[in-house]
Amino acid sequence: MKTKTKLLAGAALAATAFVGTQAVADGHSKSIATVVKIAGIQWFNRMEEGVNKFAEETGMNAFQVGPAQADPQQQVALIEDMIAQGVDALAVVPMSPEALEPVLGRAMEAGIAVITHEAAAQQNTAYDLEAFVNEDFGANLMEQLATCMGGEGEYAVFVGSLTSQTHNQWVDGAIAHQEANYPNMTLVGDKNETFDDAEQAYTKAQEVLRAFPNIKGMQGSASTDVAGIGRAIEERGMEDDTCVFGTSLPSIAGQYLETGAVDGIGFWDPAVAGQAMNKLAVMVMNGEEVTDGMDLGLPGYESVSLDGKVIYGQAWVNVNKDNMGDYPF
Amino acid sequence: MSSERDTAFVDLRAITKRYAGVTALDSVDFTVQPGEAVCLAGENGSGKSTLIKIISGVEPATEGTIRIAGQERRTLNPRISAAAGVMVIFQDFSLFPNLSVAENIAFATQLSTHERFYKAHATKEIARKALERIGVEIDLDTRVESLPVAQKQLVAICRALASQAQLIIMDEPTTALTEKEVRRLQGIIRMLKEEGVAVIFVSHKLAEVLEVSEKVVVLRNGKKVAEGPASEFDTKSLTYHMTGRDVPEVPPSDIMPGAETLLQVRGLSKAGAFEDIDFDLKTGEVLGITGLLGSGRTSVAKALFGLVSPDAGSISIDGKTIPTGDPQAASEARIGYVPEDRLTEGLFLNQSIVRNVAVGRLDAHANGGWLNMSALVDEAAEWLKRLKVKAPDIEAPVQSLSGGNQQRVALARWLSRAPRVLILNGPSVGVDVGSKADIHDIVRDLASKGIGVIVISDDLPELLATCHRILVMRDGRIIDALDGKTVSEDDLAHRLAS
Amino acid sequence: MTNWLPKDFWTRNETLVAGVIIAFCVLATLSDPRFFTITTVSDLLRASIVIGILAVGAMLVLVSGGIDVSFTAIAVFAMYASTVFFLAVWPDAPWPLIFVVSILIGSLLGAINGFFIAFLGLPTLIVTLGTLSIFRGFLLTFIGSQRISALPPSMRDFSRGVLARGTTEAGNFYSIPWAALALVFVIVLTWFILKKTMLGRSIYAIGGSVESARRIGINVTWTQFFVYVYVGALAGLAGIIHGSVGRMADPFSLVGLELSVIAAVVLGGARLIGGYGTLTGTLLGVALIVIVQNSLIVVGIPTTWQSVTIGILILLGTGVPAYRAKRAAARAG
Repeated sequence: MKTKTKLLAGAALAATAFVGTQAVADGHSKSIATVVKIAGIQWFNRMEEGVNKFAEETGMNAFQVGPAQADPQQQVALIEDMIAQGVDALAVVPMSPEALEPVLGRAMEAGIAVITHEAAAQQNTAYDLEAFVNEDFGANLMEQLATCMGGEGEYAVFVGSLTSQTHNQWVDGAIAHQEANYPNMTLVGDKNETFDDAEQAYTKAQEVLRAFPNIKGMQGSASTDVAGIGRAIEERGMEDDTCVFGTSLPSIAGQYLETGAVDGIGFWDPAVAGQAMNKLAVMVMNGEEVTDGMDLGLPGYESVSLDGKVIYGQAWVNVNKDNMGDYPF
Repeated sequence: MSSERDTAFVDLRAITKRYAGVTALDSVDFTVQPGEAVCLAGENGSGKSTLIKIISGVEPATEGTIRIAGQERRTLNPRISAAAGVMVIFQDFSLFPNLSVAENIAFATQLSTHERFYKAHATKEIARKALERIGVEIDLDTRVESLPVAQKQLVAICRALASQAQLIIMDEPTTALTEKEVRRLQGIIRMLKEEGVAVIFVSHKLAEVLEVSEKVVVLRNGKKVAEGPASEFDTKSLTYHMTGRDVPEVPPSDIMPGAETLLQVRGLSKAGAFEDIDFDLKTGEVLGITGLLGSGRTSVAKALFGLVSPDAGSISIDGKTIPTGDPQAASEARIGYVPEDRLTEGLFLNQSIVRNVAVGRLDAHANGGWLNMSALVDEAAEWLKRLKVKAPDIEAPVQSLSGGNQQRVALARWLSRAPRVLILNGPSVGVDVGSKADIHDIVRDLASKGIGVIVISDDLPELLATCHRILVMRDGRIIDALDGKTVSEDDLAHRLAS
Repeated sequence: MTNWLPKDFWTRNETLVAGVIIAFCVLATLSDPRFFTITTVSDLLRASIVIGILAVGAMLVLVSGGIDVSFTAIAVFAMYASTVFFLAVWPDAPWPLIFVVSILIGSLLGAINGFFIAFLGLPTLIVTLGTLSIFRGFLLTFIGSQRISALPPSMRDFSRGVLARGTTEAGNFYSIPWAALALVFVIVLTWFILKKTMLGRSIYAIGGSVESARRIGINVTWTQFFVYVYVGALAGLAGIIHGSVGRMADPFSLVGLELSVIAAVVLGGARLIGGYGTLTGTLLGVALIVIVQNSLIVVGIPTTWQSVTIGILILLGTGVPAYRAKRAAARAG
């Protein structure tokens, strides 16, 4: 089995070395595997829509796979499978960048084009795609929160886990933005950890409401955060007295957007991110370079900025009660 | 005879029980009259537990007829048997430690009346009545786990009484009781008999229950070998019937004249354990070391084998001093030690018999890292045969053997290493009467072959039956050295205690 | 002297846990007077409902001498499967019907545990570790792995139903949802079974000694089977309440909670060796765990210390009585 894998990898290497850049120009279909953190959840289902759309438009064999459980080891195993199957490119949304370094390293050695998403620290990748600079996105949420709060009052922040780099960057960006622009607002308490669970977010929100009765605003990070916060707000009938913003999806936060318990959510469209990753993969296979200010031809990625290997767009989407119908996922 | 059978509460006729070809009971007749106390005696494997299982319906008989409470029982199971009034009190009492005294007493009764709901006051009433019958007071709300053993036994008796027991079978009822508690139990049993409740004692420690029994039945190898009024039996005759032979304890033969000194112990001391131990052991001599618990006898034994490190003194074999406190060195000097607690110190209980013996000889059969398994197993099997270990299969785990056979396995392990000095700590603890005599034979036989044997024991008849000389220890010192042939048991007992 | 107290009052786990709860509340109130309000009490009560129902089930298993780690998987399976079923078949079904289906699914899964444990005699930890994985894997693979926010409307109605809701004059908000009644019902039912029926007493007896129970004629097999079916039913109920009240059928939730629940039960005095456990103790254990999980911010302990705090409590709550028992045994011996 091991030998077979090596052979296949070797074959793939030889193939890429030979055909190299002209493959796409020749119109030969390349296989591009998008490997996500976990299969079957709405977020990645939406991403799959983008991947499928890309496949349709370009005629590439682009497809998406993901492990049944959110487990780095399962994701590693899946990537090994993909290498063994001889894919030409991998677009990976790493569960844990560190755990994936070795296997992505092997993929690159085998001549496979590797693109990652939401993993700015990843070493073994051609490009890492970020929908936006995380701090900017956090600041964007804060701007809305501050406007809603009238620029004054107490607010609290929530993260899915204290070890999540992304969540921390959002929240840090938000806090920095507030400190710079809204001196009359005060952050109360530490970052509240919710373990990506709506129930925990609900519990934490209640606790915050008890400990800080004058609180005016809350900002969530995990997609379930605002759902839990919204439930606590609704229960207490405080929809009109508080402002709640956070990263989430209409399918999760919709019912609370309707009642006003949650005032607005921000996210990036995973479908577009999926398309962008695949497009980058093709560019890498074709030997094209990404440059600062380049237009990837996708909404939010019209003028990307490049920092080392990391490509940033401004692809966030702000949704409230009025436009939530446009994003049915 | 026939009238007696008519009145009997339990009447077994020609009961035979076979398990896969082994005959556990062979045409046994057995009756118990109402209000009668019967001693059922026999060694391990004599069939006494099988008989009890048949009466209590746990096992069906292969042949024979069973009548309980005047009715012939063709099909018997524990429920039918219990409904007829047969209650077994196992050695562990089968109580629920987490439930109250009241519930423990009443539970079985309430199950038998198919109660669906639990009523606390009715439960207490049942328990109170049962306790009153035997005239004992125990707090009904106390959890059984916090009761002393003797009271647990009383709770078990009360449970049987509450369930309308007509016959109470007690398995080894006196082993864990103090003398005073035994006397109270005897009183309760007399009371029960007056009320017409019959009792069967299953035991091999019989002296205490003989007093309150009418009848004794002795089983051996599945057959009834003796039956009669309790007054006609004493410990000695019981032993005879149980083992099928007089167990004559022949005194040891003389040490060969001119036997050389094998082991020399000089000034062995350890603070708080023993002091100034001096003695010699000749080839072919059996030396007893005795003393009360805490006299230091076990520590000395362990020090000889290096398991306890002495502060001072020397041990030498054939004039050569061996390092103290080093079991490996002792082992190399061919000293063997069979500990008292075979179960935790000596044997690998869940490993096979043959492995337990062979483990002592691994080095002798090792060849460049490989074991010559067949030679190892053959040698072990040979020793098991020589020591007459009774086992269905040498691959069976040691824990399936009786105490006597386990002791033989422990001996076999050491004997296979051809020891020059063998230290036996409590060689017959937990061993039944017949096996005990066999072990004594083995000890005498070993000595006659020139091995020096040290027997550590507080069993005085055992010492007298095996030892040429007996050292008496007290408070860590040797206070007497006696000639095994001339000293009497009384004399020895006196010196031990004074 | 104090005849109205049980004799072992001072040595019981319940007393110890109650003491810790009181000490914690005093400490919390000292550091923030707002802690001691009706708001806190009603928040904690709401947080206790699902854990409480699960804990009562876990306690029953511990009393019977087993251990069940699969009940969270059963709960989430029953909740998610019944939600998916009704969304597909009859989205407007009344909530009591959805609840009943969830409870039935839970019982069925519990019966699978019961079959392996009671009829085949397999070790409870092994069986439930296995079924934990199987139930969860089956759910995610064959039934679905998406979070569903669009629940049947009647489930949302249930979550909006309150027994009492309002604000005190001092401005303290409180809310007691219908779901609290479910916890009360479970407690009363379980109390009745354990204290007033021979079945319940048999569960204690089996936990005390299986062998003795067989010898006096208790039907051990069916009693054990009942225990696992009952626990499954409670899990089904807890699951559907969790989903309804949280207004989201999340197939990833609940699993992982089993150790906290067992910890609460053990804190309350149930022993892993079986035979011991009370409802009072269990509820106190749940209260303690919930308070710690929900109030560390008030006392000023960072959230990151939460699991450390719970671990220390478990060590104290189980270790102190065990140590005392050992010392008592040493004195007696």
